[in-house]
Amino acid sequence: MEISRRSFLAATGGTGGSALLGFLGLDLRPSVAYASQAVPKRGKIFTTICPYCGVGCGLIVEVRDGTVVNIEGDPDHPINEGSLCSKGASLYQIHHNDRRLRTVGYRKPGSDQWETLSWDTAMKMIAERVKKTRDETWLEKDDRGRTVNRADGIACLGGAALDTEECYLLVKAMRTMGLVWIEHQARICHSSTVASLASSFGRGAMTNHWIDMINSDVLMIMGSNAAETHPIAARWIQRAKERGAVVLSADPRYTRTSSFADHYCKFRSGTDIAFVGGFINYALQNDRVNHEYIRHCTNATFIINPEFGFEAGLFTGYDESQRGYDKSTWAYELDENGVPKRDPSMQHPRCVFQLLKKHFARYDVEAVCSITGTPQEDYRKACDVYTSTWSSDRVATWLYAMGTTQHTHATQNIRSYVILQLLLGNVGVAGGGINALRGESNVQGSTDMALLFHILPGYLKTPQAKHGSLAEHLAAFTPKSNDSMSANWWQHYPKYMVSLLKAFWGDHATKDNDFCYDYLGRITGNLSHIAMFEAMYADRIKGLFCFGQNPAVGGPNANKEREALGKLDWLVVTDLWETDTSVFWRRPGVDPSKIKTEVFLLPAAASMEKEGNVVNSGRWAQWRYKAAAAPGEAMTDAWVLTRLVKELKELYAQQGGKQPEAITNLYWEYGQDSDEHGEPNMHMVAAEVNGYYMSGPDKGKQITNFTKLTDDGSTCSGNWLYCGDYVDRSDGKGKELGEGGHLTEVTHFGKTFKTINRMAKRFKEDPAEVPEGRCVGLHPDWTWCWPINRRILYNRASVDRDGQPWDAHRWVIRWNPTLKDGKGGWEGDIPDGGWPPLAKADGTLNPSSKYPFIMRPEGVACLFASALADGPFPEHYEPLESPLKNPMSPQQNDPAIVIWEPDMVGDPAEFPVVATTFRVCEHWQAGAMTRNTPWLVELMPDVFVEMSVDLAVRNGVKTGDWVRVTSKRGSMKARALVTNRFEPFFIGGKLVDQIGIPWHWGYNGLATGDSANVLTPHVGDANTMIPEYKAFLCRVEKEEVA
Amino acid sequence: MAVHALLIDTVRCTGCRGCQVACKQWNKRAAEKTEFFGGPGYQNPADLSKDTWCLVTYNEVRIGDRFEWVFGKKQCMHCLIPGCASACPVGALEKLDSGPVVYHKDKCIGCRYCMLACPFVVPRFEYDSWNPYITKCTMCYDRLQMGEIPACAKTCPTGSVTFGERDALIREAKERIASNPSEYHHHIYGLEEAGGTCVLHISNVPFEELGYITDVPKRPIAARTELAMKSIPAVMVGLAVVLGASYRLRTRAQLRGEDAERPSGTT
Repeated sequence: MEISRRSFLAATGGTGGSALLGFLGLDLRPSVAYASQAVPKRGKIFTTICPYCGVGCGLIVEVRDGTVVNIEGDPDHPINEGSLCSKGASLYQIHHNDRRLRTVGYRKPGSDQWETLSWDTAMKMIAERVKKTRDETWLEKDDRGRTVNRADGIACLGGAALDTEECYLLVKAMRTMGLVWIEHQARICHSSTVASLASSFGRGAMTNHWIDMINSDVLMIMGSNAAETHPIAARWIQRAKERGAVVLSADPRYTRTSSFADHYCKFRSGTDIAFVGGFINYALQNDRVNHEYIRHCTNATFIINPEFGFEAGLFTGYDESQRGYDKSTWAYELDENGVPKRDPSMQHPRCVFQLLKKHFARYDVEAVCSITGTPQEDYRKACDVYTSTWSSDRVATWLYAMGTTQHTHATQNIRSYVILQLLLGNVGVAGGGINALRGESNVQGSTDMALLFHILPGYLKTPQAKHGSLAEHLAAFTPKSNDSMSANWWQHYPKYMVSLLKAFWGDHATKDNDFCYDYLGRITGNLSHIAMFEAMYADRIKGLFCFGQNPAVGGPNANKEREALGKLDWLVVTDLWETDTSVFWRRPGVDPSKIKTEVFLLPAAASMEKEGNVVNSGRWAQWRYKAAAAPGEAMTDAWVLTRLVKELKELYAQQGGKQPEAITNLYWEYGQDSDEHGEPNMHMVAAEVNGYYMSGPDKGKQITNFTKLTDDGSTCSGNWLYCGDYVDRSDGKGKELGEGGHLTEVTHFGKTFKTINRMAKRFKEDPAEVPEGRCVGLHPDWTWCWPINRRILYNRASVDRDGQPWDAHRWVIRWNPTLKDGKGGWEGDIPDGGWPPLAKADGTLNPSSKYPFIMRPEGVACLFASALADGPFPEHYEPLESPLKNPMSPQQNDPAIVIWEPDMVGDPAEFPVVATTFRVCEHWQAGAMTRNTPWLVELMPDVFVEMSVDLAVRNGVKTGDWVRVTSKRGSMKARALVTNRFEPFFIGGKLVDQIGIPWHWGYNGLATGDSANVLTPHVGDANTMIPEYKAFLCRVEKEEVA
Repeated sequence: MAVHALLIDTVRCTGCRGCQVACKQWNKRAAEKTEFFGGPGYQNPADLSKDTWCLVTYNEVRIGDRFEWVFGKKQCMHCLIPGCASACPVGALEKLDSGPVVYHKDKCIGCRYCMLACPFVVPRFEYDSWNPYITKCTMCYDRLQMGEIPACAKTCPTGSVTFGERDALIREAKERIASNPSEYHHHIYGLEEAGGTCVLHISNVPFEELGYITDVPKRPIAARTELAMKSIPAVMVGLAVVLGASYRLRTRAQLRGEDAERPSGTT
């Protein structure tokens, strides 16, 4: 969006500004004598969104004479209000940077250098290699003879830094090619979140949003170092503190977040379930439970199968030979209609509430602290403060990130938060929820677009070998409920699946050909990140695309992953920088001449050099604009994909090959042919993602809402969750029709339609700011958020049976019987479905209402979640590598994890120190962005290891010394930072040391250093295979020679 | 005309260093070559410099059984009666009524008296340039002229750095201390130091613990510089030859308009 200098200044004055200018009262005239030439003229202003973490801060890019001259916070943006952290403040050096890629690089097999190619040559070469590998490694049938039709020898990684439209194009192109090895950052950062929250609530995303933190009374930050990794979160936490909120920090290290918190608890890495299990037990034992809430919003009252049990660390149904469970006993007892039986009194010994109470009774304060190493006094205080929010007029939120999600029992870590928050009645309400703080600017969007092997856009399921037709697929993934009060929203699955297939293959997708269902490769088994690199290592994958991901630094057991890259025939890296992954062939200690992989390095455009949306952690899809041209020959990822598709279409049309129709019939019309550079129009892509009518009287018109999607082929939608973000404007009403960058036009079937791009909306008024004290910060007309602009998920759980908020002082939605001519209606946020409240005026159940958790077949949130691989309740197990025997049960580790390399597990006698990896404010993820930004490199040039004074003294180490850290997998060198912020743990009479290492460094870039991930193991969570980055064993020695 | 100031509150600071980078971005200061850390904790670079006008420090403080990690901020204090300005023989440093102490590089003769006169050891000299200037924080005077607040205050996520009228900020600081007396150390650094400054600090620990210079007299430094200033005419004669040449070079550069596009805070 372009805004004039005048409106920019007005905007600046608008926020802190309007107050500010008056407040300043600056009359600078007397000084102007010295400043006659000093007032710089302002250039054109473009708004953008920060490409770093998932907060989604707004920035303004100032362009003068075609050059970016200044980038600073957008004062109008409601989340950051002009503020930025060190990374956001350094964006200027992303655009102006000599280290940015400007030409296409090509590395011949065995070569030790790059050659420069033209785009034409490179894209033709890449397409030829894709075709060759695809056709040669095409798998028609799996080992059981089932049709799978997939390109088994090609993999694709990355996408969390791309715009959502690009992620959609990426998944569309790759799925069309028959790829099933599709993975990206989400697998290794928050996949456990999605599994955990979806099995509990029905959706996998952060429940609330950044600004909502101001509404909390207690904020627990555990498994997150939010002040460092999501610094603008601290803005809203600070405001909550000013309201009297208490901030708790639980972390093995005393971090910048701990310093900001009111109360700190240390705990040993990998003992999260014990830590939170104690909170759950504290709440249950002290009756700090919101009984009405759990009765009405959770499955606490449901009766469980009599065969279900738990003994010696195992739930019923365990099969050791399979390392897995037969989950048939983890089931509700059903009545004669097939509806789960309930005991509203919650006294039945087999009701979920009683089973839960029994399960967690073992987690008393003494037992917990003997596992976690937390001082009991600190721990009791935290339990007391947090569980004080069980009453309706108090609310707590739980903020977490990688410290929680990257464990062998990560999904269950989050489940423990779920259970606690449900018992306290803190889900669905303002200031509450379970807030997965997402670490990439668009990892929410890329996850929604399903750059993951097991899902398709909108959390539809990837076809499996066992489902031979669309009908079988739909039958398998469309859940049924016999309870008429359950909305069971996924019953609409077929409409979303068919609309997706129509978006992929357009008019070629017909009812007669199963809407081209057969074009999608079918999966067998687990194809996640670790599995992908194991397959690559085993020579099964021949070609790899890497879009803005850097596994040579970010992957677990990085040495192995770097070696695996050397087994590829070809590697295509699209990035802003020469990443460590792209130059794996010249990493220290290897001979390039022995590495036969052909490498293409494609220069990509940065966030302010292209147009599209990114989705922040709070699910806000925010549109950003192209402010300046990318340097040199750099192009957008969307252009690269479009060009690749064009080449492949030509090759397959001319030469045929394996399943050529999937490619030749692919619908890929985004105006690229009418653009001088062949650049696709992101508005056309966004319009397709939203969806439009494919036939009928409204043919070509944008669809306004996913309830309009059909399973008969008359609609298309690239992602049903995004249906509503790019809609027809001809019947629009109200201020949406006001002036602004969100009014657009798109063309379908040769006809142009007036449309609204809601993602570009910038109306800042917050209707929440009314005297009645409604929760603040919803900003419904600022951008758009999925689903259908609902700002707080599960908000039907914020009201009682009568539709009235649990807390009238910070309400999210409420039923107003006077609305709609006395028929009644909801006001506030967009409710989770418009049905009336559960109770009628006389108090009886209203049969036309629905239970609050509409995405779950039960209709309620799950305290007991049977969908998970390792148990319906969380249970403490030790990390795979631990210095201790599990005090809770004879079951040492999570019984359902896959152990890829049993010989690569470290022995505590040899590796006595617990290690964890962490991130800092000044660097981002695998470092390619920030280790090439001089201002950030100045702040943190070298990799370091944080250790306690105690451990340092015992090893003769001082701050600044080089130390060597060694695990069973590898060894690295780092500078010691000896600190009082790390203390050893005294557990079971034993001293347990822990160290922490930031993992951002690698061998390439302006700042280089050893990668902490050479130490981490190839072992993943039982449910999602998210790697265990946060708890493993090592030893630490002083390194004599620097 | 109201005097403006910055209030820095360590209790609110998360040490994210948005201010340090925003300062470099706005003032187009180069990154420094650093190694490991230049001071306690994550501090980098080691000190203020010609390219670093704002520096966050990391201090592990133990008081009794209480442990705190406290982040300080080093920058020009913008004294009410600045020693640097009174020491400057040519008026290159000037205290504005609105608060900032600004630098006129076209007047500077490079004598570096300002550096000696500053009780907070703030002004730096571009030693490695053959045409050197004095550099320091300008309170983003150029931004103030555009109706914007200093870059560090604007970027601060938590309101740890705020900009406003000095009197109002003093009231605010007193209120924060009074409303949370157990959290705050009961002292406003800059209220009286060096006769009062336009950068005020409040903290949860004594300022010695943050490495702040705390033995600053309450009397303005300017009063002490008079003696030195008396000897200037004699010194000036001796320096005239050297500085004259330097001055000419600089003037020539300006005539060529080399610095015209530089959007830095120097005027």
